[in-house]
Amino acid sequence: MIIDINAFLGHYPFRQLHFRNAAKMVELMDHNGIDRALVSSLNAVFYRDAHRGNQELIEDIHAHSSRFIPVATVNPKYAGWQHDLEEAVVSWKVKAVTLVPAHHGYSLVDAYGQAALESIADYGLPVVLTQRFEDRRQRHHWDIAEDFEIKTLLQVAQAHPQLRFLLINWIGLDGPSLAEAGLKGRCLIDFARLHVLLRKDVAKLIAALGVEAIAFGSHMPFDYVGPSLVKLADLESLPEADYEKIAWRNAATFLRIDD
Amino acid sequence: MNRNRRETLKAIGAAAVAISSELPSASVAAEDSPAMQKASLPGGEGLPSGWRAMRKYDVHNHVMEALHEPGADWSQTEDLVEAAEKLGIDMLCCSRPITGGKQAGNSEVRDVNNSVLAAMKRYPERIAGFCFIQPGNGPAALDEIDRCLEGGMIGVKLYNQFKYSDPIVFPVAERCIAHGIPLLGHSGHVTDARTQAAQPQISDSHDFCMLSGRYPELSLILGHVNGGGDWEWAIKALRDCPNVYVDTSGSVLENNTIEMCVQELGHERVLFATDLTMEGCVGKILSAALTPSQREDIFWRNFQKILERRRT
Repeated sequence: MIIDINAFLGHYPFRQLHFRNAAKMVELMDHNGIDRALVSSLNAVFYRDAHRGNQELIEDIHAHSSRFIPVATVNPKYAGWQHDLEEAVVSWKVKAVTLVPAHHGYSLVDAYGQAALESIADYGLPVVLTQRFEDRRQRHHWDIAEDFEIKTLLQVAQAHPQLRFLLINWIGLDGPSLAEAGLKGRCLIDFARLHVLLRKDVAKLIAALGVEAIAFGSHMPFDYVGPSLVKLADLESLPEADYEKIAWRNAATFLRIDD
Repeated sequence: MNRNRRETLKAIGAAAVAISSELPSASVAAEDSPAMQKASLPGGEGLPSGWRAMRKYDVHNHVMEALHEPGADWSQTEDLVEAAEKLGIDMLCCSRPITGGKQAGNSEVRDVNNSVLAAMKRYPERIAGFCFIQPGNGPAALDEIDRCLEGGMIGVKLYNQFKYSDPIVFPVAERCIAHGIPLLGHSGHVTDARTQAAQPQISDSHDFCMLSGRYPELSLILGHVNGGGDWEWAIKALRDCPNVYVDTSGSVLENNTIEMCVQELGHERVLFATDLTMEGCVGKILSAALTPSQREDIFWRNFQKILERRRT
């Protein structure tokens, strides 16, 4: 079984994506042996009112509810965001909440970001932080969002000790620094941009944070799924229990998807 | 839903195909026999069976250390070779370019090429050499090509000291033609200000087309189509330059890159490479909507044909 924690539905304004609705993504998942995917709405990143993107996401995945685990996107600068967050958590049973401060025009360490992080922690849900959607060297003229900085991550991790973090599409994470910031046991990192063999990124993170910190992620539909399947195959040498944690069990536990 | 590990591995090992309905109509080349090629992936899950054993030539890779010096640290090269063994990469074409646009003198150039020669000597079955050249060194640069070839190297690598449309590069191209060896060039149509400022002389597809137009007999390879930069622009700009190959390496693993290369350029102009993104670049060839024959051509056969043009 595989659970993919790095997946998105909807349109991306700067490049055509295939497999951008739930029905097409189920086909992609079936062809790649992926059982379930944690998904958030790309439309919610770019709409002024992010919650409209959440509504579209919930509608889109409704017919495929056994395959998708929904994530709400919150814009704490927008009117009524607390109400929208409550609806997503209470009515739609989202399992995590994503924040995209670079796209929504705030910082995780300003008053907006702090309020959002506190609310997410109050609901007992993990916050999803995507380091970047695509490489800046190919960016569209209107794409001005900067990559998430690790120092900001470490800062908010220390400031919110009860909050759990889902770190999507990251590279350059230093395991000991994350552990020092108190993230051991309260973060889950996908390996879409990490190396298993050459730089041993995954082994280094496991050494610092435990195998419970790593999960399968592909960054679909932006990226091919094959690279992450190859990485998973490269992890076959791990004890079977650890392999299964990375393939799906860590995601299931962290997201409490059977609750 | 709770498949165990055995079932998961079986699914991953089963034959795979990307979903044809989502792909450009011309993404699968017509020259392959549908009866023989099309149906390799009936179940369509995971990675193609036997993917590790498929022959693979990585046309763009690097050694990073001064391996020719006493007491050299071989650890990164050992890791590189170990990764290649696990991924079934039979040949690593390695260079050690001088980056940052530095106008390095020939002694420094010789030094980095000596690192590659040392790696070739230690791993003769796995590492092939590409000779880094700084075109500004004039006749000494051409002598360095000859020296590298005498040492067993099989190609030339250029970085970003000069755009490839600059006439200073022409003698290097002519020497490659004389030897019948490929010329691999660092490339990128970069659209962000930081990278543009850092690499003002980086070549994009237009520079490659200009050089190829002047020297159509040159085996010219546009390096790392996914190495950062607008790859869709890069591919479209190569449409009318039939003698330029692309290598598939780079840290960007974006869906549809390989299919677009095949559709716009034809699969025989596409060469597998990793540029140190080992699992990612193997995986995207395995994921792409290719016939088995196309995949084999891209993994090794297209480059083999280039190597057969060598005169030395």
